[in-house]
Amino acid sequence: MNTAEETPLLEARNLVKTFSGRSGTRAVNDVSFTVRRGEALGLVGESGSGKSTTARCVAGLLHPDSGQVLIAGQDVTRARGRALRATRRRIQMVFQDPYSSLNPRMTVADLVGEGMYVHGIEPDRVRRRDRTVELLETVGMGSEHLDRYPRSFSGGQRQRIAIARALAVGPDLLICDEPVASLDVSVQAQVLNLFGDLREKLGLSLLFIAHDLAVVHHLCGRVAVMNSGRVVEQGDREQVYTSPRHPYTRALLDAVPVPDPAAERARAAGRGAVHTQNHHEEKR
Amino acid sequence: MSTTTPVPTRSAGLRNLLTRKGGNKQGHTTFVDRAALGVAGLMVLLALVGPYLAPMDPYAVDLAKSLTPPGSEHWMGTDANGRDILSRVLAGGRTTILATVAVIAVATVIGTLIGTAAALGGRIVDEILMRICDVGLSLPAIVVALGLAAAMGPSLQSAVIALAATWWPGYARLVRTLVRETRDAEFVESARVLGVSRTRLVLRHVLPNSLSALYVQTTLDVSAVMLVISGLSFVGVGAQVPASEWGAMIAASRDTAITAWWTVLFPGLAIALTAIAFNLVGDWLRVRTDPTLRTGGR
Ligand SMILES: Nc1ncnc2c1ncn2[C@@H]1O[C@H](COP(=O)(O)OP(=O)(O)O)[C@@H](O)[C@H]1O
Ligand SMILES: [Mg+2]
Repeated sequence: MNTAEETPLLEARNLVKTFSGRSGTRAVNDVSFTVRRGEALGLVGESGSGKSTTARCVAGLLHPDSGQVLIAGQDVTRARGRALRATRRRIQMVFQDPYSSLNPRMTVADLVGEGMYVHGIEPDRVRRRDRTVELLETVGMGSEHLDRYPRSFSGGQRQRIAIARALAVGPDLLICDEPVASLDVSVQAQVLNLFGDLREKLGLSLLFIAHDLAVVHHLCGRVAVMNSGRVVEQGDREQVYTSPRHPYTRALLDAVPVPDPAAERARAAGRGAVHTQNHHEEKR
Repeated sequence: MSTTTPVPTRSAGLRNLLTRKGGNKQGHTTFVDRAALGVAGLMVLLALVGPYLAPMDPYAVDLAKSLTPPGSEHWMGTDANGRDILSRVLAGGRTTILATVAVIAVATVIGTLIGTAAALGGRIVDEILMRICDVGLSLPAIVVALGLAAAMGPSLQSAVIALAATWWPGYARLVRTLVRETRDAEFVESARVLGVSRTRLVLRHVLPNSLSALYVQTTLDVSAVMLVISGLSFVGVGAQVPASEWGAMIAASRDTAITAWWTVLFPGLAIALTAIAFNLVGDWLRVRTDPTLRTGGR
């Protein structure tokens, strides 16, 4: 029996989160989805639809009012203590704004090495530094940056540092909350390609959040569309893009110029950067 | 909630007045900043070595020389008891400045502990600590000092204790506000997702990124605390009369101020100069650490 294939890496079950406020907004309303090993799920919806709140519930930053988050079958919304910490480690997060998600008073070496230090993955300073250099290489940055502070980097570089920091604890899944939305258009594609490469190289699963369908198009084999706290449509990329069932998805598709899939494939093949199209079922 | 204090910008006008350029928004170090840093540095130095620099014994009474005007022998003149004022100003700097530093240091430590606990300890802890702060803030330093003077006898120590006891709630509120802001920053969430322990989260991520405004405030407060200490000495509940504390010196010269101006002018100048210098340094720090000016690399 191969349970690894049966049990999804991440499962969100009927998540509900209401913010106590004047309006009492139900930011997340009965949201369920699964991400299997090696899979990339795109979570798409307009601003305010509850994507970040969902991500924060999954990452353990928020406690959902009801519903469960299961990591490899273990319910982390109920768990506590050391076991929880070990399980939580398997899911890491990359935030939207790399200008605020990196502690401005820590060097790149400290930022990337922190996870290895606090989890005792690499307690030795020198070896931790070596591993940090490797991680920086993985995200396309040189070791000359080790002792610099975040303020000396561009947005794209900062996001690479943030990715290296998340990768340092060896996660199985990366939650990416609009990781390119605050970057210059010119570097968005580079960072998106990096995520594609990481999937390929490390067999990383992704929960990739975006506010338009174009961004997730070449990265995610499966797409969930959120509107007003609910997942209104969920399915394979081809199905969602070519024959959307929900009017909201159709509106989203009309709002942004999603490149012609055939042309996109041809371009991707030429560049050789996108390996995972149509392989949403692939297993590690 | 009424318990949030905006980051005070008490002396924003002073620097503008002095630089004439109307706000040094780039955070460049101007001549005035250098001068202020110099004077403040000098005063701190004075606190350390002042008594050794005094040309004469600051306590040596010589009634024959009572109220000698400034001249070649006594550069700042002598007081009613014939004591050399220059020597007393140099020696008094230590008392005044060390007392000020003691007040600020104690208030900063208590304020940071209480403010951080209030910001991170949950609703009930927050409510209790903030009510205690309210009580502390509602007590004027002078009243507490008078009370302590009555209970412990008037002394510089009781003035320092009274001042520290009434000064920390302001810092606690400021720290609470600052930490609440930082607490929700994305880099703190990033550390939480990474699995960083609570202690490390506070010490490594939250506090270092919260306290720069507190340091600015404490520097700006040096002048205020110094004035209150001198004031308390002046009204008789701080340093006691023979002591060469600047405020006490002025107090002791009350009766001679009109006939012998030098007896109050020089200690007064010392107080004013130090107060202005620390105020300007605080301002300079504020501009330099203003987060809106530190976007570096963007
Ligand atoms: N901390 C919070 N307190 C109160 N309301 C919030 C909070 N975070 C999000 N919301 C509200 O929840 C809704 C969903 O927000 P969010 O999850 O950030 O959406 P998205 O990431 O899709 O833009 C919005 O209406 C937002 O105003
Ligand atoms: Mg969001």
